[in-house]
Amino acid sequence: MVARPIVVAPVTGLLLGEPQAGMLAGVLLEILSLHQLPIGANRHWDTGPAAVAAAVAMVAVRGPVGLVVAGGAGVLIGWLGSWSVHGLRHLNARLVVVDEGPGLRPASLTARHLAAIALDFARAVTLTLLAVWVVLRGTEGIAGAPAEAGWVAALVAAALGGLALGADVRMVAGGRRVWTAFGIGSVLSTIVWVWLH
Amino acid sequence: MFEMLARSLLIQGSWNYRTMQGAGVGFALIPVLKRLHRDDPDALARAVRRHVGFYNGHPYLSTVAIAALARMEGEEADAEEIDRFKRALVSPLGSLGDRLVWARWRPLTLLLAALLYLAGAAWWVAASAFLLLYNVVHLKLRVWGLRLGWREGRAVGRVLIGSPLRRLPDRLTIPLAAIAGGLLPLMALSVSQSNGLAPLPAVGSAVGLAAIGAWRPALAGRLAAFGILLFSLGFVILGQIAW
Repeated sequence: MVARPIVVAPVTGLLLGEPQAGMLAGVLLEILSLHQLPIGANRHWDTGPAAVAAAVAMVAVRGPVGLVVAGGAGVLIGWLGSWSVHGLRHLNARLVVVDEGPGLRPASLTARHLAAIALDFARAVTLTLLAVWVVLRGTEGIAGAPAEAGWVAALVAAALGGLALGADVRMVAGGRRVWTAFGIGSVLSTIVWVWLH
Repeated sequence: MFEMLARSLLIQGSWNYRTMQGAGVGFALIPVLKRLHRDDPDALARAVRRHVGFYNGHPYLSTVAIAALARMEGEEADAEEIDRFKRALVSPLGSLGDRLVWARWRPLTLLLAALLYLAGAAWWVAASAFLLLYNVVHLKLRVWGLRLGWREGRAVGRVLIGSPLRRLPDRLTIPLAAIAGGLLPLMALSVSQSNGLAPLPAVGSAVGLAAIGAWRPALAGRLAAFGILLFSLGFVILGQIAW
Protein backbone atom coordinates (compact mmCIF):
# COMPACT_ATOMS: atom_id res chain seq x y z
CA MET A 1 0.00 0.00 0.00
CA VAL A 2 2.87 2.41 -0.61
CA ALA A 3 1.29 3.27 -3.98
CA ARG A 4 -1.63 5.17 -2.42
CA PRO A 5 -1.85 8.90 -3.27
CA ILE A 6 -1.56 9.85 0.42
CA VAL A 7 1.96 8.35 0.41
CA VAL A 8 3.15 8.76 -3.19
CA ALA A 9 2.00 12.37 -3.67
CA PRO A 10 3.79 13.92 -0.63
CA VAL A 11 6.93 11.89 -1.40
CA THR A 12 6.84 13.21 -4.99
CA GLY A 13 6.27 16.69 -3.54
CA LEU A 14 9.26 16.16 -1.22
CA LEU A 15 11.45 15.27 -4.22
CA LEU A 16 10.30 18.52 -5.85
CA GLY A 17 10.87 20.48 -2.62
CA GLU A 18 7.18 20.89 -1.64
CA PRO A 19 5.81 17.94 0.33
CA GLN A 20 2.84 19.96 1.70
CA ALA A 21 1.63 20.74 -1.83
CA GLY A 22 2.02 17.09 -2.76
CA MET A 23 0.06 16.01 0.31
CA LEU A 24 -2.88 18.30 -0.54
CA ALA A 25 -3.02 16.78 -4.04
CA GLY A 26 -2.79 13.31 -2.48
CA VAL A 27 -5.73 13.99 -0.12
CA LEU A 28 -7.93 15.21 -2.98
CA LEU A 29 -7.02 12.23 -5.16
CA GLU A 30 -7.74 9.82 -2.28
CA ILE A 31 -11.21 11.32 -1.86
CA LEU A 32 -11.85 11.12 -5.62
CA SER A 33 -10.61 7.53 -5.92
CA LEU A 34 -11.83 5.97 -2.67
CA HIS A 35 -14.87 4.36 -4.26
CA GLN A 36 -12.65 2.51 -6.76
CA LEU A 37 -12.57 -0.87 -5.06
CA PRO A 38 -10.31 -3.62 -6.49
CA ILE A 39 -13.04 -6.26 -6.20
CA GLY A 40 -13.06 -9.32 -8.47
CA ALA A 41 -11.99 -8.42 -12.01
CA ASN A 42 -12.96 -4.75 -11.56
CA ARG A 43 -10.88 -2.31 -13.65
CA HIS A 44 -9.90 0.30 -11.08
CA TRP A 45 -7.66 3.38 -11.36
CA ASP A 46 -3.90 2.95 -11.10
CA THR A 47 -3.38 5.41 -8.25
CA GLY A 48 0.47 5.30 -8.09
CA PRO A 49 1.27 7.04 -11.41
CA ALA A 50 -1.89 9.16 -10.92
CA ALA A 51 -0.54 10.46 -7.60
CA VAL A 52 2.82 11.37 -9.16
CA ALA A 53 1.00 13.29 -11.92
CA ALA A 54 -1.21 15.06 -9.37
CA ALA A 55 1.73 16.08 -7.17
CA VAL A 56 3.75 17.37 -10.14
CA ALA A 57 0.73 19.42 -11.31
CA MET A 58 0.17 20.83 -7.81
CA VAL A 59 3.80 21.89 -7.43
CA ALA A 60 3.88 23.33 -10.97
CA VAL A 61 0.70 25.42 -10.66
CA ARG A 62 0.14 25.91 -6.87
CA GLY A 63 -2.90 27.27 -5.04
CA PRO A 64 -6.53 26.20 -5.59
CA VAL A 65 -6.08 26.24 -9.39
CA GLY A 66 -3.16 23.86 -8.88
CA LEU A 67 -5.36 21.63 -6.72
CA VAL A 68 -8.05 21.36 -9.40
CA VAL A 69 -5.46 20.71 -12.12
CA ALA A 70 -3.81 18.12 -9.83
CA GLY A 71 -7.18 16.40 -9.39
CA GLY A 72 -7.77 16.41 -13.15
CA ALA A 73 -4.28 15.08 -13.90
CA GLY A 74 -4.76 12.36 -11.29
CA VAL A 75 -8.12 11.30 -12.70
CA LEU A 76 -6.81 11.24 -16.28
CA ILE A 77 -3.66 9.24 -15.50
CA GLY A 78 -5.51 6.94 -13.08
CA TRP A 79 -8.03 6.16 -15.82
CA LEU A 80 -5.33 5.62 -18.47
CA GLY A 81 -3.56 3.40 -15.92
CA SER A 82 -6.66 1.27 -15.49
CA TRP A 83 -6.67 0.56 -19.24
CA SER A 84 -2.96 -0.25 -19.27
CA VAL A 85 -3.56 -2.73 -16.41
CA HIS A 86 -6.45 -4.20 -18.43
CA GLY A 87 -4.09 -4.79 -21.38
CA LEU A 88 -1.45 -6.30 -19.10
CA ARG A 89 -3.99 -8.72 -17.65
CA HIS A 90 -4.65 -10.07 -21.16
CA LEU A 91 -0.90 -10.32 -21.78
CA ASN A 92 -0.43 -12.15 -18.46
CA ALA A 93 -2.95 -14.77 -19.55
CA ARG A 94 -0.70 -15.61 -22.50
CA LEU A 95 2.37 -15.56 -20.29
CA VAL A 96 1.34 -17.68 -17.31
CA VAL A 97 -1.66 -19.82 -18.30
CA VAL A 98 -0.40 -23.27 -19.34
CA ASP A 99 -2.96 -25.41 -21.17
CA GLU A 100 -0.67 -28.11 -22.56
CA GLY A 101 1.11 -31.01 -20.81
CA PRO A 102 0.64 -32.86 -17.55
CA GLY A 103 3.32 -30.94 -15.61
CA LEU A 104 4.91 -27.54 -15.08
CA ARG A 105 8.45 -27.13 -13.78
CA PRO A 106 8.78 -24.79 -10.75
CA ALA A 107 11.54 -22.82 -12.49
CA SER A 108 9.25 -22.22 -15.47
CA LEU A 109 6.37 -20.98 -13.29
CA THR A 110 8.73 -18.75 -11.28
CA ALA A 111 10.19 -17.24 -14.47
CA ARG A 112 6.71 -16.58 -15.93
CA HIS A 113 5.37 -15.09 -12.70
CA LEU A 114 8.40 -12.82 -12.18
CA ALA A 115 8.29 -11.78 -15.86
CA ALA A 116 4.68 -10.64 -15.34
CA ILE A 117 5.77 -8.58 -12.32
CA ALA A 118 8.64 -7.05 -14.35
CA LEU A 119 6.18 -6.16 -17.14
CA ASP A 120 3.89 -4.45 -14.63
CA PHE A 121 6.85 -2.48 -13.27
CA ALA A 122 7.83 -1.39 -16.79
CA ARG A 123 4.21 -0.42 -17.51
CA ALA A 124 3.98 1.71 -14.35
CA VAL A 125 7.34 3.44 -14.97
CA THR A 126 6.41 4.21 -18.60
CA LEU A 127 3.00 5.56 -17.57
CA THR A 128 4.55 7.69 -14.81
CA LEU A 129 7.15 9.22 -17.13
CA LEU A 130 4.47 9.90 -19.74
CA ALA A 131 2.26 11.46 -17.05
CA VAL A 132 5.02 13.79 -15.82
CA TRP A 133 5.75 14.91 -19.40
CA VAL A 134 2.05 15.55 -20.16
CA VAL A 135 1.55 17.47 -16.89
CA LEU A 136 4.65 19.64 -17.35
CA ARG A 137 3.63 20.47 -20.93
CA GLY A 138 0.00 21.08 -20.02
CA THR A 139 0.65 23.36 -17.05
CA GLU A 140 2.94 25.83 -18.83
CA GLY A 141 1.42 29.26 -18.39
CA ILE A 142 -1.20 28.43 -15.72
CA ALA A 143 0.90 29.65 -12.78
CA GLY A 144 -0.10 33.25 -13.52
CA ALA A 145 -3.83 32.65 -13.02
CA PRO A 146 -5.84 35.69 -11.78
CA ALA A 147 -7.37 35.77 -8.28
CA GLU A 148 -10.89 35.17 -9.62
CA ALA A 149 -9.75 31.83 -11.07
CA GLY A 150 -8.46 30.93 -7.59
CA TRP A 151 -11.89 31.53 -6.01
CA VAL A 152 -13.63 29.46 -8.67
CA ALA A 153 -11.06 26.68 -8.26
CA ALA A 154 -11.43 26.69 -4.44
CA LEU A 155 -15.19 26.39 -4.75
CA VAL A 156 -14.88 23.63 -7.38
CA ALA A 157 -12.38 21.64 -5.28
CA ALA A 158 -14.54 21.91 -2.14
CA ALA A 159 -17.79 21.06 -3.95
CA LEU A 160 -16.49 18.15 -6.04
CA GLY A 161 -14.51 16.84 -3.06
CA GLY A 162 -17.76 16.89 -1.06
CA LEU A 163 -19.63 15.14 -3.88
CA ALA A 164 -17.01 12.38 -4.04
CA LEU A 165 -16.84 12.00 -0.24
CA GLY A 166 -20.63 11.62 0.05
CA ALA A 167 -20.51 8.97 -2.70
CA ASP A 168 -17.52 7.23 -1.05
CA VAL A 169 -19.34 6.81 2.26
CA ARG A 170 -22.60 5.72 0.62
CA MET A 171 -20.78 3.16 -1.57
CA VAL A 172 -19.24 1.39 1.43
CA ALA A 173 -21.98 1.93 4.02
CA GLY A 174 -25.47 3.32 4.48
CA GLY A 175 -28.32 3.74 6.94
CA ARG A 176 -29.48 6.29 9.53
CA ARG A 177 -26.75 5.45 12.10
CA VAL A 178 -24.07 6.00 9.45
CA TRP A 179 -25.34 9.46 8.52
CA THR A 180 -25.77 10.39 12.18
CA ALA A 181 -22.12 9.49 12.77
CA PHE A 182 -21.18 11.42 9.62
CA GLY A 183 -23.04 14.50 10.90
CA ILE A 184 -21.51 14.28 14.39
CA GLY A 185 -18.05 13.99 12.82
CA SER A 186 -18.71 17.07 10.66
CA VAL A 187 -19.93 19.20 13.58
CA LEU A 188 -17.08 18.14 15.88
CA SER A 189 -14.35 18.83 13.32
CA THR A 190 -15.89 22.24 12.49
CA ILE A 191 -15.91 23.17 16.20
CA VAL A 192 -12.27 22.06 16.56
CA TRP A 193 -11.29 24.01 13.44
CA VAL A 194 -13.03 27.21 14.63
CA TRP A 195 -11.45 26.81 18.07
CA LEU A 196 -7.98 26.33 16.55
CA HIS A 197 -8.33 29.31 14.19
CA MET B 1 5.98 -21.17 6.37
CA PHE B 2 7.85 -17.85 6.23
CA GLU B 3 8.71 -18.47 2.57
CA MET B 4 5.03 -19.10 1.76
CA LEU B 5 4.08 -15.90 3.62
CA ALA B 6 6.69 -13.87 1.71
CA ARG B 7 5.60 -15.34 -1.64
CA SER B 8 1.94 -14.65 -0.83
CA LEU B 9 2.81 -10.93 -1.00
CA LEU B 10 3.34 -11.43 -4.76
CA ILE B 11 0.21 -13.50 -5.36
CA GLN B 12 -1.33 -10.89 -7.68
CA GLY B 13 1.88 -10.43 -9.70
CA SER B 14 0.57 -12.33 -12.72
CA TRP B 15 -3.17 -11.58 -12.31
CA ASN B 16 -4.98 -12.41 -15.55
CA TYR B 17 -8.54 -12.81 -16.88
CA ARG B 18 -8.31 -16.62 -17.28
CA THR B 19 -6.93 -18.05 -14.05
CA MET B 20 -6.83 -14.74 -12.13
CA GLN B 21 -4.52 -15.42 -9.13
CA GLY B 22 -3.98 -19.08 -10.12
CA ALA B 23 -0.32 -18.76 -11.10
CA GLY B 24 0.29 -16.72 -7.92
CA VAL B 25 -1.05 -19.57 -5.78
CA GLY B 26 1.24 -22.04 -7.57
CA PHE B 27 4.18 -19.65 -7.12
CA ALA B 28 3.51 -19.35 -3.37
CA LEU B 29 3.27 -23.13 -2.97
CA ILE B 30 6.56 -23.96 -4.74
CA PRO B 31 8.71 -24.19 -1.54
CA VAL B 32 6.31 -26.71 0.05
CA LEU B 33 5.90 -28.71 -3.14
CA LYS B 34 9.69 -28.90 -3.57
CA ARG B 35 10.01 -30.28 -0.05
CA LEU B 36 7.25 -32.86 -0.54
CA HIS B 37 8.51 -34.08 -3.94
CA ARG B 38 12.26 -33.53 -3.62
CA ASP B 39 13.17 -36.97 -5.06
CA ASP B 40 10.74 -36.99 -8.00
CA PRO B 41 10.97 -34.11 -10.51
CA ASP B 42 8.02 -35.45 -12.55
CA ALA B 43 5.76 -35.64 -9.48
CA LEU B 44 6.88 -32.10 -8.56
CA ALA B 45 6.00 -30.80 -12.05
CA ARG B 46 2.57 -32.48 -11.85
CA ALA B 47 2.00 -30.99 -8.38
CA VAL B 48 2.87 -27.47 -9.58
CA ARG B 49 0.51 -27.97 -12.54
CA ARG B 50 -2.30 -28.97 -10.13
CA HIS B 51 -2.12 -25.61 -8.33
CA VAL B 52 -2.02 -23.08 -11.17
CA GLY B 53 -5.71 -23.40 -12.10
CA PHE B 54 -8.38 -20.76 -11.46
CA TYR B 55 -8.31 -19.00 -8.09
CA ASN B 56 -9.39 -15.51 -7.06
CA GLY B 57 -9.85 -14.71 -3.38
CA HIS B 58 -8.91 -11.62 -1.42
CA PRO B 59 -5.09 -11.33 -1.69
CA TYR B 60 -4.55 -10.85 2.06
CA LEU B 61 -6.63 -13.89 2.95
CA SER B 62 -5.01 -15.97 0.21
CA THR B 63 -2.74 -17.37 2.92
CA VAL B 64 -5.76 -19.32 4.26
CA ALA B 65 -6.07 -21.13 0.92
CA ILE B 66 -2.32 -21.49 0.36
CA ALA B 67 -1.67 -23.06 3.78
CA ALA B 68 -4.70 -25.35 3.53
CA LEU B 69 -3.60 -26.45 0.05
CA ALA B 70 -0.08 -27.13 1.34
CA ARG B 71 -1.53 -29.36 4.02
CA MET B 72 -3.81 -31.14 1.53
CA GLU B 73 -0.84 -31.73 -0.75
CA GLY B 74 0.97 -33.34 2.19
CA GLU B 75 -2.09 -35.56 2.72
CA GLU B 76 -1.93 -36.54 -0.99
CA ALA B 77 -5.32 -35.09 -2.01
CA ASP B 78 -6.10 -35.66 -5.70
CA ALA B 79 -6.21 -32.93 -8.38
CA GLU B 80 -10.00 -32.91 -8.59
CA GLU B 81 -10.43 -32.43 -4.85
CA ILE B 82 -7.85 -29.62 -4.82
CA ASP B 83 -9.62 -27.83 -7.67
CA ARG B 84 -13.03 -28.22 -5.96
CA PHE B 85 -11.59 -26.96 -2.67
CA LYS B 86 -10.02 -23.87 -4.29
CA ARG B 87 -13.25 -22.96 -6.09
CA ALA B 88 -15.24 -23.42 -2.88
CA LEU B 89 -12.97 -20.99 -1.00
CA VAL B 90 -13.16 -18.19 -3.60
CA SER B 91 -16.50 -16.74 -2.46
CA PRO B 92 -16.08 -16.81 1.36
CA LEU B 93 -12.50 -15.49 1.27
CA GLY B 94 -13.37 -12.92 -1.38
CA SER B 95 -16.45 -11.53 0.32
CA LEU B 96 -14.88 -11.45 3.79
CA GLY B 97 -11.70 -9.73 2.57
CA ASP B 98 -13.50 -7.29 0.27
CA ARG B 99 -15.90 -6.15 3.01
CA LEU B 100 -13.29 -6.01 5.74
CA VAL B 101 -10.26 -4.59 3.92
CA TRP B 102 -11.32 -2.84 0.71
CA ALA B 103 -14.65 -1.46 1.94
CA ARG B 104 -13.77 -0.66 5.58
CA TRP B 105 -10.18 -0.82 6.80
CA ARG B 106 -8.51 0.83 3.80
CA PRO B 107 -10.96 3.79 3.51
CA LEU B 108 -10.95 4.20 7.29
CA THR B 109 -7.15 4.43 7.58
CA LEU B 110 -6.85 6.62 4.45
CA LEU B 111 -9.50 9.08 5.61
CA LEU B 112 -8.02 9.11 9.12
CA ALA B 113 -4.62 10.04 7.65
CA ALA B 114 -6.25 12.78 5.54
CA LEU B 115 -8.13 14.05 8.61
CA LEU B 116 -4.91 14.12 10.65
CA TYR B 117 -3.17 16.16 7.95
CA LEU B 118 -5.99 18.67 7.48
CA ALA B 119 -6.28 19.01 11.26
CA GLY B 120 -2.68 20.18 11.38
CA ALA B 121 -0.40 17.13 11.62
CA ALA B 122 2.81 17.10 9.58
CA TRP B 123 2.50 15.35 6.18
CA TRP B 124 4.93 12.63 7.17
CA VAL B 125 3.02 11.93 10.40
CA ALA B 126 -0.22 11.45 8.43
CA ALA B 127 1.39 9.28 5.72
CA SER B 128 3.27 7.18 8.32
CA ALA B 129 0.11 6.77 10.41
CA PHE B 130 -1.67 5.34 7.37
CA LEU B 131 1.18 2.99 6.44
CA LEU B 132 1.59 1.76 10.01
CA LEU B 133 -2.09 1.33 10.91
CA TYR B 134 -3.04 -0.24 7.60
CA ASN B 135 -0.14 -2.66 7.38
CA VAL B 136 -0.32 -3.88 10.97
CA VAL B 137 -3.78 -5.27 10.21
CA HIS B 138 -2.78 -6.33 6.68
CA LEU B 139 0.18 -8.42 7.88
CA LYS B 140 -1.72 -9.76 10.89
CA LEU B 141 -4.46 -11.00 8.53
CA ARG B 142 -1.90 -12.80 6.35
CA VAL B 143 -0.24 -14.51 9.34
CA TRP B 144 -3.65 -15.38 10.87
CA GLY B 145 -4.74 -16.90 7.55
CA LEU B 146 -1.56 -18.95 7.22
CA ARG B 147 -1.93 -20.41 10.71
CA LEU B 148 -5.65 -21.07 10.27
CA GLY B 149 -5.23 -22.76 6.88
CA TRP B 150 -2.37 -24.95 8.11
CA ARG B 151 -4.23 -25.94 11.30
CA GLU B 152 -7.60 -26.69 9.71
CA GLY B 153 -6.62 -27.94 6.24
CA ARG B 154 -9.66 -28.91 4.16
CA ALA B 155 -12.01 -28.02 7.09
CA VAL B 156 -11.03 -24.35 6.94
CA GLY B 157 -14.25 -23.32 5.17
CA ARG B 158 -16.35 -24.45 8.14
CA VAL B 159 -14.16 -22.47 10.57
CA LEU B 160 -14.39 -19.35 8.39
CA ILE B 161 -18.20 -19.36 8.64
CA GLY B 162 -18.00 -18.94 12.43
CA SER B 163 -15.04 -16.55 12.38
CA PRO B 164 -15.37 -13.36 14.47
CA LEU B 165 -13.81 -11.49 11.52
CA ARG B 166 -17.19 -11.67 9.75
CA ARG B 167 -18.69 -9.21 12.26
CA LEU B 168 -15.77 -6.78 12.15
CA PRO B 169 -16.81 -4.83 8.99
CA ASP B 170 -20.11 -3.81 10.64
CA ARG B 171 -18.24 -2.56 13.71
CA LEU B 172 -15.95 -0.39 11.57
CA THR B 173 -18.82 1.29 9.71
CA ILE B 174 -19.68 3.97 12.31
CA PRO B 175 -16.04 5.05 12.92
CA LEU B 176 -15.53 5.22 9.14
CA ALA B 177 -18.60 7.45 8.70
CA ALA B 178 -17.57 9.71 11.62
CA ILE B 179 -14.06 10.17 10.20
CA ALA B 180 -15.45 10.92 6.71
CA GLY B 181 -17.86 13.41 8.27
CA GLY B 182 -14.99 15.07 10.13
CA LEU B 183 -12.98 15.33 6.95
CA LEU B 184 -15.71 17.05 4.92
CA PRO B 185 -15.68 20.55 6.56
CA LEU B 186 -11.91 20.44 7.12
CA MET B 187 -11.35 19.83 3.41
CA ALA B 188 -13.63 22.73 2.43
CA LEU B 189 -12.20 25.05 5.10
CA SER B 190 -8.58 24.35 4.21
CA VAL B 191 -9.27 24.94 0.50
CA SER B 192 -11.14 28.20 1.20
CA GLN B 193 -8.49 29.40 3.66
CA SER B 194 -5.71 28.97 1.10
CA ASN B 195 -7.37 31.49 -1.21
CA GLY B 196 -9.18 33.94 1.03
CA LEU B 197 -12.57 32.50 0.01
CA ALA B 198 -15.27 32.91 2.69
CA PRO B 199 -15.66 29.63 4.63
CA LEU B 200 -19.47 29.49 4.35
CA PRO B 201 -19.80 29.01 0.55
CA ALA B 202 -17.00 26.44 0.53
CA VAL B 203 -18.46 24.40 3.42
CA GLY B 204 -22.01 24.87 2.18
CA SER B 205 -21.22 23.63 -1.33
CA ALA B 206 -19.22 20.69 0.04
CA VAL B 207 -22.04 19.63 2.42
CA GLY B 208 -24.73 20.15 -0.23
CA LEU B 209 -22.93 18.11 -2.85
CA ALA B 210 -22.00 15.42 -0.29
CA ALA B 211 -25.75 14.95 0.24
CA ILE B 212 -26.22 14.56 -3.52
CA GLY B 213 -23.26 12.13 -3.57
CA ALA B 214 -24.93 10.05 -0.87
CA TRP B 215 -28.20 10.05 -2.79
CA ARG B 216 -26.75 8.81 -6.11
CA PRO B 217 -23.31 7.41 -5.23
CA ALA B 218 -22.41 5.58 -8.46
CA LEU B 219 -23.30 8.59 -10.63
CA ALA B 220 -21.77 11.08 -8.17
CA GLY B 221 -18.41 9.30 -8.07
CA ARG B 222 -18.15 9.48 -11.86
CA LEU B 223 -19.49 13.04 -11.93
CA ALA B 224 -16.89 14.26 -9.40
CA ALA B 225 -14.05 12.70 -11.40
CA PHE B 226 -15.40 13.95 -14.74
CA GLY B 227 -16.12 17.40 -13.28
CA ILE B 228 -12.63 17.93 -11.90
CA LEU B 229 -11.14 16.69 -15.18
CA LEU B 230 -13.32 19.14 -17.12
CA PHE B 231 -12.45 22.12 -14.88
CA SER B 232 -8.75 21.30 -14.97
CA LEU B 233 -8.86 21.13 -18.78
CA GLY B 234 -10.61 24.49 -18.74
CA PHE B 235 -7.84 25.99 -16.60
CA VAL B 236 -5.16 24.45 -18.85
CA ILE B 237 -6.78 25.96 -21.97
CA LEU B 238 -7.25 29.36 -20.28
CA GLY B 239 -3.63 29.22 -19.11
CA GLN B 240 -2.42 28.64 -22.66
CA ILE B 241 -4.50 31.36 -24.32
CA ALA B 242 -5.41 34.02 -21.73
CA TRP B 243 -3.16 34.15 -18.63
